[in-house]
Amino acid sequence: MRSLMLAAGLAATLAPPVAAAEFRWASTTDPQTMDPHAVNTAAVLGFLNNVYEGLVRRGKDMAIEPALATAWEPIGDGEGWRFHLREGVTFHDGSDFTAEDVIFSYQRASSPEADTSSWFAPVAGVTMVDDYTVDILTTAPNPIFPDSIANWMIMDSGWAADNAAERPAKEAENHATLNANGTGAFRVAARQPGLETVLEPFADWWDTAEHNVTRATFTPIQNPATAVAALLSGDIDMINPVPIQDAARLSQSPDVQVIQGIEARVIMLGFAHQAETLKYGTDQGAPNPFRDVRVRQAVAHAINVPAILQTIMRGNAEPASQLVSPSMRGFSKDLAARPAFDPEAARALLAEAGYADGFSFGLKCPNDRYLNDESVCQAVVSMLAQIGIEAQLDAMPVRGYWPELREDNFDMFLLGWSPGTFDAEHPIRFLAATPNDEKKLGSWNFGDYSNPRVDELLPLIQSEIDDTKRQAMLDEVAAILQDEAAYVTLYVQPLLWGAASNIALTQRPDNFFILRWVTVN
Amino acid sequence: MLAYIIRRVLQSVLVLLVVGLVAFSMFRFVGDPIDNMLGQERTQADIERLRDVLGLDDPFPVQYWKFMSQAAEGNFGISYRQGRPVSDILLERAPATLELAAVSGLFAITFGIGFGVLTAIRRGGLLSSTVMTLSLVGVSLPTFLIGILLIYLFSVELGWLPSFGRGDTVMIGGWSTGFLTTSGLKALILPSITLGLYQMTLIMRLVRSEMLEVLRQDYIRFARARGLRERSVNFRHALKNTLVPVITVTGLQLGSIIAFAIITETVFQWPGVGLLFINAIQFVDIPVMAAYLMLISVMFVGINLIVDLLYVAIDPRLRSDSSKRGH
Repeated sequence: MRSLMLAAGLAATLAPPVAAAEFRWASTTDPQTMDPHAVNTAAVLGFLNNVYEGLVRRGKDMAIEPALATAWEPIGDGEGWRFHLREGVTFHDGSDFTAEDVIFSYQRASSPEADTSSWFAPVAGVTMVDDYTVDILTTAPNPIFPDSIANWMIMDSGWAADNAAERPAKEAENHATLNANGTGAFRVAARQPGLETVLEPFADWWDTAEHNVTRATFTPIQNPATAVAALLSGDIDMINPVPIQDAARLSQSPDVQVIQGIEARVIMLGFAHQAETLKYGTDQGAPNPFRDVRVRQAVAHAINVPAILQTIMRGNAEPASQLVSPSMRGFSKDLAARPAFDPEAARALLAEAGYADGFSFGLKCPNDRYLNDESVCQAVVSMLAQIGIEAQLDAMPVRGYWPELREDNFDMFLLGWSPGTFDAEHPIRFLAATPNDEKKLGSWNFGDYSNPRVDELLPLIQSEIDDTKRQAMLDEVAAILQDEAAYVTLYVQPLLWGAASNIALTQRPDNFFILRWVTVN
Repeated sequence: MLAYIIRRVLQSVLVLLVVGLVAFSMFRFVGDPIDNMLGQERTQADIERLRDVLGLDDPFPVQYWKFMSQAAEGNFGISYRQGRPVSDILLERAPATLELAAVSGLFAITFGIGFGVLTAIRRGGLLSSTVMTLSLVGVSLPTFLIGILLIYLFSVELGWLPSFGRGDTVMIGGWSTGFLTTSGLKALILPSITLGLYQMTLIMRLVRSEMLEVLRQDYIRFARARGLRERSVNFRHALKNTLVPVITVTGLQLGSIIAFAIITETVFQWPGVGLLFINAIQFVDIPVMAAYLMLISVMFVGINLIVDLLYVAIDPRLRSDSSKRGH
C-alpha cells in the first residue's frame, strides 16, 4: 500500500501520470542463487542488480555513477580510494546502511567461499574512517578500481549474522541462497527457484523511481520457441533473448518490438600456441603450424566475417577487430579494422610458412554457449578449406567444452569474452597474459599465448592513473595482439530482446535487465 | 509364497544398485559441473577448492558408495545448481508432474476407449476414418512439435489457453495443486493433451482391434439373436471383455507417461521433475540427476514388483510351485 501511494505521489509530482502496472519477463536461465557473492555470472548478477546495490552503479550508457557511495576520490599517491557513503539508506528489512556493512560485504565477497574474490585481488585492506566513510587500500595504484566494483553488492551485516549467512555457500544450504535483503529499488517478495521470482518496489528506496511497475514476475523459460509464443500470446511482456531466426518475424508483429543492440561479448578463434604437435586431424602428430605467426595471420585473412554475419547472424552483429568491442573503455580506435578477407594473401602466407599444400587439424567448438556457435564454426571450416587447410570440427555442449580446453585438447578453438569491468585491461589479464596461477593471470588463456612485452605492460596499465598514457599502452598491446594474430577476432555478439509494444525499457550492453528503467504504457 | 516375495524384493534391490552404478558411471561423460558453478573470473585455486569440497576427484567407487549409502537414508545431497537439498526440490516439483500425468492418463483412457469403441462399431464411417487418420498423425509427430503446434493454435492465434507454466496453484499441506484454480485447470489442458496423445492413440487402437475381435465371437451373435439392444451388446458384453489387456497396458504405460513428461514439460515450461532433470543435465547437477534416475527406477521396479505380486495372488499355480520348492 505504501509503495502504491509513493508511486502515485511521485507520478503526480514528476511526470504526467502513467498507470501503475504489473510486468512479467522471462529469460532462458534462472538465477541459481539470490546470493550476490556466491556465483559470478551474468544471470545472477544481472538479476540481483535490481535487488542489491553496490557503492557505484552503471547508468544507461554503462558509465559509473554514484549509488551507495555519493562520491569517491583517490587516496594520496594511488594508495587506494576513499568512498563517501550515502546517508539515510535502509535495507529492505528496515535496518540502516553504514560503513560496517561495506566492511562486512568486502570480507564476505572476498572470502575463499565467494566467487567474486578475484575482484578484490588488488585490494590490500578496507578500513572504516567513520560511519559513512571507508578507505579501500590497493597494493598498487588502481585507476579503474571504482569501475571494477560496480557489481560488488552490499549486504546487511546484521541480517547476515542473524541468519547465519556470513559466508556465501554453493555446496550447502544457506539463508541468503533463497532470501535477499538489499537496498535496491526492488525487494524479493517471493522466490521459487526454477519457477518464478516475484519482485515488488521497495517503498523506502533512496533514489527516485523512474518505473511504474507495481509487481514484477520473472519466469525462466528454457525453450526459445515457448518464450516467443508466450510473448506473442501476451502471457509475457519481455523475453531475453529472441532467437536470431525469429527476430525478423517478431519485429513485423504490431504487438511486439525487437530491441537490438551490441553485446560486450567478442567471439574469436584461439590457437594452441605452445603445443609441439597437432593433436587432431589426419596430420595428428605433425609439428604444430599455429606456432607460426604467418599461419595464424592466414587464418585471419581466410575468414569472411561479413559473410558470416550476413548469413548466420542475419545482419545482427558487427565485426570485431580486437578483444573488446568499440563501446568498451580502452578500445583502440586506430586499430578498428580487422584483417581484410583476402584468400589470396592467406594462401601466400601459408606458402611462405611452408604449408602450400595445407594441413589438417582439429577445431573445438561449443554448440550451446554462444548464439549460433556451431554454425559459425561450420562456416569457419568451409572458409579455411578455401585456402587449403582442413579443419575437423568437434562441436560439443558447453558442460564438456571447458574441461576439454583446460586439458589442452584442441588445435584451434572458439571463445567468446565479455569483459566484466567493461575495460580493455580485462581480456588482456584473462586471455593474453602468460598463465600464472599464483598471480591469477591468464586463467582463460587456454592456448598459452605468451608475449613478454604484453606481460610487462599489463601491470603498468593496471596502475596508470593518466588516461592518455594508459590508452597508449592499451593501444600497444592491442597492436601486438593484432600483429601476432594471438586470437582471430570475428564479431561482437548481438543482443536481441523482445518486448510487448507497450513496454519502454533500456538495453545495456552487459545484457543486464534493469527493472527500474521499465515503463508499462 | 514368502520366499517368492523375498526373492523378488531382493532382485528389485539389485536392479536399483545396478541402475545407480550405470547412472554414476555415465555422469563423468556428461561434463564438469565446476564451470557452471563458478563465473569467468574464477581462479585455479577456486576450481580446486570446489572440486575438493564436492569430492569430484574421489575415485568412482567412493563417489558411488557415498551417494548410495546416503540415498539409503533418504539423503540425496545438495543440488549443485540451487544449493538446496535435492529431496526438498524433488518434493516441490513432484506434484506438478504427478498431476500432469494423472490428467493425461485420464485423458488417454477416456478418449482412447471412447474412440476405440466408436471406430470399431462404426467401421468405415466418415467420423471413424477421420479419427483413425488423425490418430496416425498423433503417433507419428514428435511430442515437442505437437506441443508447439497446440501453443501456436490455442495460445497465440486464439488466445484461449496459457502458453506455458502451471497457472496459479494452491498449497494443501505441502502439495501444490493446480486443480483448484481456473488458471491452473486451463494450464493443464494443452500439456495433458500433448503428453497423453500417444497413449490415447495406443489405447484407442488396442480397444479397436480387441473390440473387432470380440464382436466376431459367438456370444455376441447370440446376444444379438436374443434381441438385446445394440448399446447393451456393445458396452455391456463386448467392451467389458476387451478391457483386460487394456488395463494391463495402461498400467504399464503410467510409468512411461511420467518418464515421457520430460519433453512435454520442457515445451510448456511445466515446473515438474522432468524439467528439473533437463536443467540438471545442462548444468551437470549430479545429485539431482542421480536422485531423479533412482526415483524413476524405484517407480518402475515398484510397478513391476506389484504386478508380479498380483500375479501370485491371482494365479494359484505360482503359489503352489513356490510352496513346493519351500518344502
